[in-house]
Amino acid sequence: MRERVAMAYQYRLEKVGKVFGRRQIALARIDFVVQRGEKVALIGPSGAGKTSLFRILNCTLRPSSGKLWINGDEIESLHGRRLREVRRKIGTIYQQHNLVPRLKVIHNVLSGRLGRWSAFRSLASLMRPLEVELAWSALKQVGIEEKIFTRTDELSGGQQQRVAIARVLVQDPEVILADEPVSSVDPSLAASIVNLLIDIGRDTHKTLLMNLHSVDLALAYFPRVIGIKNGVALFDLSPDKIDDRLLEDLYSGHLPPSDQEKVAHAESNALAYP
Amino acid sequence: MSGSSGEKTGAAVPWPAHEVSGRSNLWNYVFLLALAVFFLWSYWGSQVQLSLLFSREGGGQILAYIQKLFPPDLSGPVLREALQGAIETFAISLMGTLLSAAIALSVVFFASRNLIYSGLLYEMEPTLGWKRGLRLVPYLAAKGLLNLLRTVPEMLWALIFVFVVGLGPFAGVLALGVHTGGVLGKLFGEVLEDVDPQPVESLQSTGASKLQILLYGILPQVLPQFISYTLYRWEVNIRVAAILGFVGAGGLGQRIHIAISLFFENQLFTLIIAIYVLVTLVDYLSAYLRRKVT
Repeated sequence: MRERVAMAYQYRLEKVGKVFGRRQIALARIDFVVQRGEKVALIGPSGAGKTSLFRILNCTLRPSSGKLWINGDEIESLHGRRLREVRRKIGTIYQQHNLVPRLKVIHNVLSGRLGRWSAFRSLASLMRPLEVELAWSALKQVGIEEKIFTRTDELSGGQQQRVAIARVLVQDPEVILADEPVSSVDPSLAASIVNLLIDIGRDTHKTLLMNLHSVDLALAYFPRVIGIKNGVALFDLSPDKIDDRLLEDLYSGHLPPSDQEKVAHAESNALAYP
Repeated sequence: MSGSSGEKTGAAVPWPAHEVSGRSNLWNYVFLLALAVFFLWSYWGSQVQLSLLFSREGGGQILAYIQKLFPPDLSGPVLREALQGAIETFAISLMGTLLSAAIALSVVFFASRNLIYSGLLYEMEPTLGWKRGLRLVPYLAAKGLLNLLRTVPEMLWALIFVFVVGLGPFAGVLALGVHTGGVLGKLFGEVLEDVDPQPVESLQSTGASKLQILLYGILPQVLPQFISYTLYRWEVNIRVAAILGFVGAGGLGQRIHIAISLFFENQLFTLIIAIYVLVTLVDYLSAYLRRKVT
């Protein structure tokens, strides 16, 4: 019975914490459950631990305390091939794209297939790309198919972000984790990228977790929003229950970027005209 | 703000404590003095006597030797010998450099701290003390091997290999390959330690194996610099290959050694011209290729 309950969950976190070095606490204690197919946004000030949480959720970072189940598997018990198998079912879109700049777009997209490919097949594809149609249709879905044989470092930031999305499409995971996927694109494009990811998630019944800088986007597109501050979940609610007081709490003690800019501007003025 | 505030803002500059006290200045002078003493000590130790070089007698010796070099012996057999020597030297440098790259490539991945030891590829493995300790063994072994290969000079390796495989260019190839393998191993290692870990982590998150991460995440980052360093060492090696023959390891050096020993100055000049042409050609070729890869 207990097994079956666990299997319905995509993620189950129990008191998950992460400490870097000896004292730098990234996550204090996170508890939540994500159902399969659920769409969840995470918001909170920068440095709250959202990125560390995502690295734990995609199994590239081991929690220092607490327990994490993915699809009913306790992550602590996974090693080697089984661990890679779990990772393959989780696709991550990183804030800095994390592509290999010198490789052509096609190889960066096809690197989403590595979890399914043998070492020999991977090497062969570097010589002459395999499964080109798959990469092409993924790139077409994000609207940059004409860049398929371009070197990745010749692309703009926004285009690279879409290559990263195409890589996840090709990976075809059960879960998509998107860590600030729109922080490097202009606002007009941001909504369309969030929309695209939500559409992909809905059409293929994927679980979608997204870290968002923009509270507006989170509240507008997601049925569930988790607010994270200082390594703990401050709230975990549907957007209609999130009011200004909660958001103020979430961001209080944190200098918004516009004010920081003002201060910096004032200082530079003072130096320029002594 | 008026000009009179200039003094005040000057006082407000938070100078580091040691700069204010002025004590560091004293240490600077002590350091300079120590450097001067060190220089003088080396000057006497290496028995530098500029008067010998620039004396009338020294100058005369140089002139006399240069006169003896002229004209270069351009007769058929000598030219053929020079050409054959140049080809042999070229072949030694090329094979030696390829061998060295192969040696460096097969050892360097074990000798780079972020790959093997601190665990670029082992992020999610449990950090058990003894397992970490176990990874220290191949790391230290590889480091030690590269150090050994590098610290023994090519000429010494050549002497050893002449003893092992006999006189001739093969000994030169081995000597160059082994020594340069150590040098390239160190250089490659430094390139590997600068690998950007973020693409590596993102490949890891797709479920890629360590070998696949090496192919897709690490090699594309480091290969251009690997090739560039190898070409640069080829330029160094063509010069070394030209004198390896002094200890019997083939190439132009062997013929130069004979020409000097038997006082065939005109033939010597022909061989020196051959070295000049060969080294210049390889420099240009290597520079051209290096521009291509970066």
